[in-house]
Amino acid sequence: MKAGSLRNVGIMAALLIAPVAFALSAGGYEQRIMTLAGIYAIAVLGYQLIFGRLGALSLAQGSFFGIGAYTTGLLGIHLDWAFPASFLASLIIPAAIACIIAIPVLRLESHYFALATLGISQIALLVGVNWTEGTGGANGLYGVPPLRILGTALDSSEAMLVVVWCVLASAVLAFSCLVKGRAAHRLTLLREAPEAAVTAGIDIGARRLSLFVASAAFGGAAGALQAHSIGVVSPAVLEFQVMVSILAMTVIGGRGHPAGAILGAVLLVHLPEWFRFLEAHYLVAYGAALLVAVIIMPEGLAGLFRRWLVTQERWAPEPPRTSKPEVPTTLAVLHLVGLCKRYGGVVALDNVSITVVPGEILGLIGPNGSGKSTLINVASGLQTLDAGEIRLGNLDLTGMPAHGRARVGLSRTFQTPVQALGLSPLESVLAACPAGLDERRAERHAAACLSAAGLTAPAVPTTSLSPAEARRLDLARALASGPAVLLLDEPAAGLTPAERDDLACCLKHLTDSGLGLLLVDHTMDFLLPLADRVICLATGSVVAEGPPSMVARDPAAIAAYFGEPPP
Amino acid sequence: MSAPLLSIEALTLNPGGNPILHGLSVTLKVGGSLAILGANGAGKSSLLRAVMGLEQPEAGRVLLDGQDLVTTRARDRAALGIGFCPEGRRLFPGLTVEETLAVGFVGPTRQRRMRIDEMLDMFPALAGKRRDRAWSLSGGQQQMLAIARAIMNQPRLVLLDEPTLGLAPMIIDEVLDIIRTITATGTGVLLAEQNVGPALRVAEDVIVLVRGSSVHTGPARALSPSQAAKLMLSSG
Amino acid sequence: MGASIPQLLVNGVALGAAYALIALGFVLVINAVGAVNFAQGDLVMAGGFVAVTITEYLTPWANDNLPDLAFIGPRASAVGLGLVILPLTMVVMAVLGLLFSALAYAPLRHRPPVSVFISTIAVGLILQHGANAVFGPEPRVGPPLVVDGNFALGPITLSIQQLSVIFAAGCLITGTGLLLSRSQLGRQLRAVAQDPEMAEAIGISAGHCIAITFALAVALAGSAGMLLSNQFFVAPSDGGLFMLKAYIAVTVGGWGRLDGAAFAALLIGVFEVMMAAFVSYVMAEALLYAGVLLVLLVRPSGLLRETIQRRT
Repeated sequence: MKAGSLRNVGIMAALLIAPVAFALSAGGYEQRIMTLAGIYAIAVLGYQLIFGRLGALSLAQGSFFGIGAYTTGLLGIHLDWAFPASFLASLIIPAAIACIIAIPVLRLESHYFALATLGISQIALLVGVNWTEGTGGANGLYGVPPLRILGTALDSSEAMLVVVWCVLASAVLAFSCLVKGRAAHRLTLLREAPEAAVTAGIDIGARRLSLFVASAAFGGAAGALQAHSIGVVSPAVLEFQVMVSILAMTVIGGRGHPAGAILGAVLLVHLPEWFRFLEAHYLVAYGAALLVAVIIMPEGLAGLFRRWLVTQERWAPEPPRTSKPEVPTTLAVLHLVGLCKRYGGVVALDNVSITVVPGEILGLIGPNGSGKSTLINVASGLQTLDAGEIRLGNLDLTGMPAHGRARVGLSRTFQTPVQALGLSPLESVLAACPAGLDERRAERHAAACLSAAGLTAPAVPTTSLSPAEARRLDLARALASGPAVLLLDEPAAGLTPAERDDLACCLKHLTDSGLGLLLVDHTMDFLLPLADRVICLATGSVVAEGPPSMVARDPAAIAAYFGEPPP
Repeated sequence: MSAPLLSIEALTLNPGGNPILHGLSVTLKVGGSLAILGANGAGKSSLLRAVMGLEQPEAGRVLLDGQDLVTTRARDRAALGIGFCPEGRRLFPGLTVEETLAVGFVGPTRQRRMRIDEMLDMFPALAGKRRDRAWSLSGGQQQMLAIARAIMNQPRLVLLDEPTLGLAPMIIDEVLDIIRTITATGTGVLLAEQNVGPALRVAEDVIVLVRGSSVHTGPARALSPSQAAKLMLSSG
Repeated sequence: MGASIPQLLVNGVALGAAYALIALGFVLVINAVGAVNFAQGDLVMAGGFVAVTITEYLTPWANDNLPDLAFIGPRASAVGLGLVILPLTMVVMAVLGLLFSALAYAPLRHRPPVSVFISTIAVGLILQHGANAVFGPEPRVGPPLVVDGNFALGPITLSIQQLSVIFAAGCLITGTGLLLSRSQLGRQLRAVAQDPEMAEAIGISAGHCIAITFALAVALAGSAGMLLSNQFFVAPSDGGLFMLKAYIAVTVGGWGRLDGAAFAALLIGVFEVMMAAFVSYVMAEALLYAGVLLVLLVRPSGLLRETIQRRT
């Protein structure tokens, strides 16, 4: 087992055992408080999935907590269900509700997503307070039977404490399974460099759905334990204060690592005790603590101790035996037909048609403002088309979302290489590998892509890559999905002549296997010798097309660049 | 020999660790016009932004009429008399033509109204478009508005970043006429361009940038467009 | 129940007008800094308490020092006191707005918008529990704008307070609109909201404009708090619902549009009052949330077109 992850496990074990040991020795009152901390930690863990890992500000986590509590309460009181059946139901019902609301809601942008989840939580509160026949209304439910395991009722504070923290330990395990390995890298890439992630084939919608549903299950579990713990379920469990607590614990504890969930929960549950001298005003301190934390500790407490917590494993891969990628390149022709795009009063693309055949390097030149970047954005799916068609082989890509295009063989690089600073170069490329590959093949494939792109030191941190190396990383990531056609947006900008020659060599090699390249660049010394064919764009239309030497002398192209015909 | 209007000394710019400008020195005399030619990534925009105060240089100085601007913020540089017409125009989309011209103007209301009328006379493309929102204008009209906005306060120095970007040849001629009018009033012009022909037609002097360093300086009439283009698009 | 339709309409419009003030402040901050101000509702509540406090100090002074006006009746010197309290409240709230922007926005302006979201939640907590600590949890009644009481218009009885609220809110909304569209300051605020760096490059101080925007937004919130405090009272826990209504209004009306937000807020007020009178308050709330969810599903950009300038 790798050294880093062993240390990780050790730290988590310590964080799970120490609070329990402390509370057991401190007496009943402390045990009840620590039980509450454990319960909240489970809810916070769930919240870390959607908010911490994915960066989506959901405001429904408190409601899932409440729904779980009510489920356990109702099933226990009215139907006499006991653990584990009622507990499982408290996982499934919030998850099912999350599933139903997720599909319309997850598509929304962040400010709408927050509002939609807020609206849902308000509806849940209204139902809880007003549906007196069902939920007991404002009085709530009382007499929730205590947790029973194998026939024994666990109603002592020690027993409840141990059980809750055991459930928390299982939750931590579940969390690690959900976000381990390449899945974690994909999430980090999605959060830090969404455009790169989407154009590498990562489906943001599917990720959000699975994590949202999982977060709801965690929330429901926490609520169920709360219901058993205090024996009463009141509408307070659905109020916004619960959501605020969970949010505060996530922010203060640190939203990236399970350790943060435990630290945040233990700290904030004890805060009222420590600020007892402030009496009713301790909640003001709560708000102040959250404000201070978000300003000076953006990574939370766990972030402060990051050096000792290995969030990702970094290692150097074995050098590949062959540099053949594990994901074979398919061969396909890219047809861009009649593309039109305007922004307000400005025409960016005016009926542009371009074809890229396998093994070909097609150069695209044109002055700034001629529409080259727009063309790549529209072809890769990051911007919409007003009119026109995009076909790759037999597939019609015109309406397809960006991540779908990557999966069927269309990749791109970016003019300013987008970097996910939280990932090492190898991890970035792994994140872009197709999900179906197993770990070993994915590693070999990532290493092969890195060497094909000419990046020879994949284990250094991304922050210390030179601009030229950052471009190579971008290229490697674009190769990881096994594209048929690759769109390159000014790959040579800012490179020294030696670096440019290297890159030209590298790109030539890539086409040997049948990969087609659409290469946009300004540096004529680089592009003209490299390209098989060149197209010149000006003010959104094609003004010249043909072999490089011909286009370089074409009067229309010259006029576009130099502003007037040659003397 | 009078002091230069603008003096850039050994300017080095490394935003985000990317080396953009390497010890570049440029002078512009009062009432002069200088074209800065370069391909994408050569550093033209960064140079103009550094003069405007939107980028902080690692080393080197920018002097306006002998005054070192090192501690002067962008908005104070505008008050000192630098007008800025950025790449891509960056108009305020929701503001009308009239509002765009008014918003940066310093002076009493009556003067402001008169100046706006002057601008609408000087830029016939904007005539009759007073109350139209900036986003609804065509490319050429937007460019005219951006230039007009830059000269509303009658600056000593105007920075124009690729004003011919994406424009049809006829509109480019109109833009060049405007630039000549500006120069004729004694305002210094610093013009960054990729479009070699128009830039050489309108500027007095030229400097060619390749990857952050100058590869040629001299009078514009001594450089032909194809020579300039060759220099610009070379590896330097 | 038992109130006539015109009375209900007046009530609804009055409530909606106050909501419009809240929504206006909310949109101003969204446009200026691209962040959702989760404390907007708590700022409304703070405005209500500021008004209550000012009233407590001002009324005894007025009773002692202003002459009695016999034909109006007892507490005559309190007539029209609200017209002084409102601007005073707004001034205090404007200062609070400057403080708010310094605490919740300025330290986080280079961070992603979600940080400001959280910081405003934190400030909202501080406001809510601070008010609880200072004033206690019980609702307080605020001053009328002019005077309590009704008057008869033919067969209908209308409340003077409601009509004053409509008038005052209308003036404030129109005033804000005029400020933004006709004045140099308003133009500068809008320019900074659309492109702060470019605004700096033409000589406008983005920092000053943002601070002024916050001051204005919070002053508007405070005015709504004062106007609502007479009929609906003010309690420390009121903030959440106000913020939610504003958020809904802005979403339904078209994100970033001042006119859309104000109009949608007005509709929400009328809807709430009508629904509460004919069905129940709970149903009104439930339908409101369901309605906004429907809008989000079908037309996430709101009923009116979203403004062109979108912050990334």
